[in-house]
Amino acid sequence: MTISWTIFRKELTDAVRDRRTWTIALVISLLSGPVVFLLLSNFVSGIEEKVAKREVVIDHPEYAPTLVNFLQRAGATIVPAPAGYREQLRSGSLGNAVLVPPADFERKLERGEQVEVQAVFDDSHEKAQAVVRSSIRLLAGFNREVGVQRLYARGVSPGVLAPLEVREVSLAPNQARGAQLLFVVPWAALMVAVFGALSVAIDVTAGERERGSLEPLLGNPLSTGALVLGKWGVVMTYSLAIVVLTMAGFMVSMRLITNETMAALMQLEWREVAIFVALLLPFAALMAAVNMLAATFGRTYKEAQTYVSYIAMGVQFSAIVPVFLTVRDAPWQWFVPAVSQLTVLMRALRGDPIGPMDLLIPGAVCVGAAAFCLALQARLLERETIVFARS
Amino acid sequence: MIEVAGLAKSFIARRGGTRSVVNAVIDVSFRAQDGRITALLGPNGAGKTTTLRVLATLMRADRGTAAVGGFDVAGDPVAVRAQLGVLSDARGLYTRLTARENVTYYADLRRVPRGECAERLAMLADLLDMGELLDRRTDGFSSGERMKVALARALIHDPRHLILDEPTNGLDVTSTRALRRLLRHLRDRGKCLLFSTHIMQEVEQLCDEIVIVAHGRTIAHGSAADLCRAAGAQDLEDAFVRLALGAGGREPAAAAPAQEHA
Repeated sequence: MTISWTIFRKELTDAVRDRRTWTIALVISLLSGPVVFLLLSNFVSGIEEKVAKREVVIDHPEYAPTLVNFLQRAGATIVPAPAGYREQLRSGSLGNAVLVPPADFERKLERGEQVEVQAVFDDSHEKAQAVVRSSIRLLAGFNREVGVQRLYARGVSPGVLAPLEVREVSLAPNQARGAQLLFVVPWAALMVAVFGALSVAIDVTAGERERGSLEPLLGNPLSTGALVLGKWGVVMTYSLAIVVLTMAGFMVSMRLITNETMAALMQLEWREVAIFVALLLPFAALMAAVNMLAATFGRTYKEAQTYVSYIAMGVQFSAIVPVFLTVRDAPWQWFVPAVSQLTVLMRALRGDPIGPMDLLIPGAVCVGAAAFCLALQARLLERETIVFARS
Repeated sequence: MIEVAGLAKSFIARRGGTRSVVNAVIDVSFRAQDGRITALLGPNGAGKTTTLRVLATLMRADRGTAAVGGFDVAGDPVAVRAQLGVLSDARGLYTRLTARENVTYYADLRRVPRGECAERLAMLADLLDMGELLDRRTDGFSSGERMKVALARALIHDPRHLILDEPTNGLDVTSTRALRRLLRHLRDRGKCLLFSTHIMQEVEQLCDEIVIVAHGRTIAHGSAADLCRAAGAQDLEDAFVRLALGAGGREPAAAAPAQEHA
């Protein structure tokens, strides 16, 4: 243990003096929160504002005063369509549907004929989708109102045409609606744990080989197990510090940047932060061990970077699996690192209850896998091909 | 004392997709006494570095035995490392640490008390003329300066045995002289010193005992005078050429490239 502590202290000093690595880590961890929250909140509020404002864009509103009147009564603001609106729709600069009533709208309506009103939109722009739906829903409202009036005029009950009256009662808590999109938040936190201490992990393994200090180091009376443990301690400390800093960044961003809409969509209070940290600590410990193991095969820093980038890529992809799964919260998800963390974190943000098993099982899997990686690395360092192979 | 008997070590070399066996060491035997400087003299690829790596417990021999201070290198590697100082051909330092921190790190790994470490480092700095280097970060050190730090690091626990792999490689005259001064000082204190080299001048100036190794085998051993007598040569260089490279002085093609092992 004394040996591991000595190695830990030395590697920590070494890492702290590596100003470049240190600065990058600090910037990543402190900026990821504000950046993610700024983007998300901009995205969410953009949609919400337009829907809330209920802006309805009409080409030649003067053709359809009855429709305009209805829309205004429904709380919508009428915006005349700009010239060349089709181009603007395609480019995404106009993120709404443009309603195009015919010139004889009023005449046809009066006669009780069916009037064709075009709703022109481009829903390949994601932001536009909600607003377009809202405009079209308003048209359906107009349909209903006029239809009901016509039925009454003919002495028919509107119930004849609508045998079902559907009233939506959503049981999803506030957070559930936003959490779909908000997987970005736990995913970003997870990625910080993957990438945060990468350079330190490479430096203490392949870096040691590249600079020719591994051979003399192993000439000391120490076990490779103690050596690996000391080095892992530093990579993990680094990683944990970055995770904690990132979470602090998330908390601050949540308070400063986020608008009310996002706050209503997502729960990120002390309880959630505690769950994040409890899940990310063992995950960071595992990533430290995995990255070190992969980097041990590298004879140079550059070679090791290639190996760890494969791992990082694998984790990146597997972490987003739960987002696309049709089967949610299946038992196997608990046992796959990255997948389990993301699944539980998304549930926490959704406001679902989190039990002790949700934290213990993913944590135990990470700790077990980390121990395996460290033991393997200790064995590798006894191999002549690892100690003496140089580029 | 360092004793090596019937040592053999081979590697699998992969070149261009084909695998071949390289016999780096075939049969090396010698004894390095305490209070003496013993040289392993041989051409490049003779098996010197491999022999030293086996002694440093970093490689396992296929056959034969090796012991340092009575401890078998395969049976009790930790005990061997504890009483051995090694200056290998890899002299990597931690460039973000100062020379003092580099040396102190090894002292801590060997559990040398801090006070003792400071005293010994002051003495080594004096002998190696590296006082002004101690508190500088080792980034940008010259090869001579790096060698001095690596040597101080190898000696900080005051080992009874010291092995050095081609220690004067890339050193200027001043550094070489500082190194020789230190090695003599250590010999006079009764240490057992073993170093590998292919430089005749160094051997003549420093060594009490010479072990000539070629093609992975011990060819001859004795003092410089013994070897000259045995080869019927005027000087050590002639004796070496006759003994190690054959009467014609040509190096056989099958020399085992131990140092190229990758």
